[in-house]
Amino acid sequence: MGKEIQIAKLFWKAAFKNKGIFLLIFFMGLLLAYAAYSGKKNFETQNQIRDKYQKEARKDWVNNPDKHPHRMAHYGHFAFRPKAPLSVFDFGMESFFGNTIFLEAHKQNTVNFSEASFSTGMLRFGEISIAMILQVLLPLLIFFLGFAAIAAERQNGTLKMLLIQGVKWRTLILGKSLGILAVVMTLFIPIVLATIFLFSGLQDMNTSADEFLRLLFIVLCYFIYLVIFCVIAVLISAISKTPKAALISLIGLWLLLIVVLPRISQALGASIYSIPSKAKFESAIGDAIMKVGDSHNPDDPYYKALKDSLLEAHQVDSVKELPFNYSGYQMREGEKISTEIYNQHYDQLLNIYEKQNGFSKMMSFLNPFMAIKNVSMALSGTDFSAFMDFQKQAEDYRYNLAQEMNELQIKHISNEAKSSSDKNHILDNDHWEEVEEFEYKPSTISQTFKNEWISFVAFLFWTGFLAFLIHKLSKTLKAI
Amino acid sequence: MIRLAFYNFIRSNNVRIGLLFLLLTGVISLFIGKQFVEKQKQDIIDTSIYQKEFIEHYVEFKKDDLGLLLYYLKFALVNETLPISGLSIGQRDVNPQIKSVTIRGLEGQKHDTDLNNPNNLLLGNLDFSFVLIFLFPLLIIAFTFNIISEEKESGTWRIVSVQSKSLSKLILQLFSIRLVLILTVLLLILFLAIPILDIPLNVKFGAFSAISIGYILVWFGICFWVVSLQKNSSFNAVVLLSVWILLIIVLPAAVNNYLTNKYPVPEALEMTLEQRKGYHEKWDKPKEATMDKFFAHYPQYEKYPVPEDSFSWLWYYAMQQMGDDESLDSNREMKEKIALRQKESAAISLVIPTMHAQLTLNQVAHTDLGNNMQFLNNLDAFHENLRLYFYPKIFEGHPVENEDWSKFTPEYASMSQPVNWKKSLLPLLFATLLLSVMGLLNIRKIRRL
Repeated sequence: MGKEIQIAKLFWKAAFKNKGIFLLIFFMGLLLAYAAYSGKKNFETQNQIRDKYQKEARKDWVNNPDKHPHRMAHYGHFAFRPKAPLSVFDFGMESFFGNTIFLEAHKQNTVNFSEASFSTGMLRFGEISIAMILQVLLPLLIFFLGFAAIAAERQNGTLKMLLIQGVKWRTLILGKSLGILAVVMTLFIPIVLATIFLFSGLQDMNTSADEFLRLLFIVLCYFIYLVIFCVIAVLISAISKTPKAALISLIGLWLLLIVVLPRISQALGASIYSIPSKAKFESAIGDAIMKVGDSHNPDDPYYKALKDSLLEAHQVDSVKELPFNYSGYQMREGEKISTEIYNQHYDQLLNIYEKQNGFSKMMSFLNPFMAIKNVSMALSGTDFSAFMDFQKQAEDYRYNLAQEMNELQIKHISNEAKSSSDKNHILDNDHWEEVEEFEYKPSTISQTFKNEWISFVAFLFWTGFLAFLIHKLSKTLKAI
Repeated sequence: MIRLAFYNFIRSNNVRIGLLFLLLTGVISLFIGKQFVEKQKQDIIDTSIYQKEFIEHYVEFKKDDLGLLLYYLKFALVNETLPISGLSIGQRDVNPQIKSVTIRGLEGQKHDTDLNNPNNLLLGNLDFSFVLIFLFPLLIIAFTFNIISEEKESGTWRIVSVQSKSLSKLILQLFSIRLVLILTVLLLILFLAIPILDIPLNVKFGAFSAISIGYILVWFGICFWVVSLQKNSSFNAVVLLSVWILLIIVLPAAVNNYLTNKYPVPEALEMTLEQRKGYHEKWDKPKEATMDKFFAHYPQYEKYPVPEDSFSWLWYYAMQQMGDDESLDSNREMKEKIALRQKESAAISLVIPTMHAQLTLNQVAHTDLGNNMQFLNNLDAFHENLRLYFYPKIFEGHPVENEDWSKFTPEYASMSQPVNWKKSLLPLLFATLLLSVMGLLNIRKIRRL
């Protein structure tokens, strides 16, 4: 390793003699500081707002007077999606997620008020987060640092001398890559420290083991990502005749990997698997529910059969004689059926989304940028599955809330009650407090690995592939 | 001389590949736009089919009770996606073009979203505006960054400078050749867009093309100015590329962060809680509490009696109305906040041509935030008309079958977004002019060697 380190040291010295490099690193540092500041500010403001309204919604719920439980089922509750703590590092898709969902009986609502829906259109250019700088701008810095690494030695003839002196190609490539990496570390290490500091500061130093692991894997993956680009820079420089040619190839590659390919892959996925219109989606669900029966219609055949079997089982002639509230019983059944049907259709929809995303996931093998983007979002809890997870938890809460109200009705409301607006049949408001508050539980890191294993495998693939390339090229490269 | 230079330039393989790449991605972007517009069209067709089915079904099913029927029925308002929207999809993939609403409280339904894969939204559309804003400048940079420097570096500058009478004229000619080529590609793509997307040749398309040309001119201005500094090729390349990254990636993203942090919209959440409370609380209050407010809003309905101790639709819809009426303030505040965002981002974009181009192209293509806000205002009026139409019929107990339900097909919002030529073009032209004059002053100083 001695020789590699020597080469790296020489590279380091030469790099810092260049004023431009200083300027670039300084500028990147400034940008990173802004990204950290704005990520922290956004996290704090948004979570403050959401927390405030979550509490207010709960207060509204609890403060309801005595009433019929079905009125409470319609009163419903709200779930406000809390921002993930690591979103200070990687905003991921958060701006495109809705923040507010209304949870009521009989109806699955959409998650509304995403940041994107308030955006003037500039969101299309992206956002500045620490992750974005690491993913997008650092590779470019690496390319600027490394394009001349070997091509310049070739152009001014020193490459031949090195090789004659017995320096092996492999040593040269590794040494130069190490040199670039060392320069990049002057940015990366402070970033890592700042992120850890920022992150545990926001958590009041209460970072859990799960979160710590996430952070650890983020650091590891980004390190590998940067190594990949260092090696790519040196390899391209090694096969180029002149530094200028190397620079052009590298910039072309950067544009392709980071600007063009991600859009193309997602466009491809979206055009092959198309999403049904909302009208069609809702109509299909409505039809399927109607096929079973309408729980609000007392003469509906399905529910009539249900009623008849109940009457028989209890040996009574009318629902009024049943020992529990029949209308609550019927609604419990209806909620169960409609929710099952909705979930079936929603799963199909999710399946289409997953297929669309499959394209960009597989692109991780062609494009390390996609690999890090997916892994980083997943580890930060700002990816597609984090949002689906929130939706799932909100929907579960909604279902349980509706059923809890139905249970209260079955148990406490008399069959004499005409409707839920009947003021003579109301329930004490102590019951409202018994309903547990919605609390989003972020998924564990093992779940993240399960969801995003393809991208992790892609990292392994890239590491192996580059090792192979170094090995292969070491044998075939020429000095001139 | 200029003809020779032109052939010399176009003969290069790199130039041809570059132009072809641009043309190809341009054409692909048109088809992506077409696919988007067609999907939107299909959604409208779906909506009208299902709305008809739904109404027919429920009219049969709830035929005895108009109030109950209208609890269920949904009526769609469409913010039509224009063919030209395919060129700059903008916010159209985030904000739904169709809103189906019942005559119940509007605020609880107004902000419902479409079915969307957030991953598609995140990675963005490869539409024409992306090709124009992101990719065209790169080719302009690649074509122009070494106009003087390469000749100097290869030693041919001396010959060239002896041969031509006016050096500044020569440089301008070299730039014109490239400008003409790039504009040809741009116009070719726009020309192809007409049949592919079925775009009508109207003032919008004219404005769209003019803004595109203006944007290209700005980049030629930038390149011209950098080249006029007469540094070496790698300096020019690095400077121009940095400008590209700054204008396209760093500055707009930074402005975005700034606006998001400066103008959070808690009013939306406030509004959404208020509308729930405004309606639901009324169930627990004496009927007068609701009816007094309702009759103050609609004195024309005061003549209808409200039964004291039984349910009535008049009371029910009055309660629903209170959800909207009592969230009016936070609703207005939310709109004001969004207007502030729009105003500030328009102001900032005056000095950032990439942002300006994107925002104005979206405006012309009816895909900006302003378009959506206008649509929501249209929805307010549409919903109010539905209420005014059905309220008296419900309150008077009109029979369901007396209504001609077939006339309730999706309606189109009347959107008017006139082209503001001055605001759209002047910032781009001014930037071009400024850069050109600065460049011209520099190249006038060039001395023959």
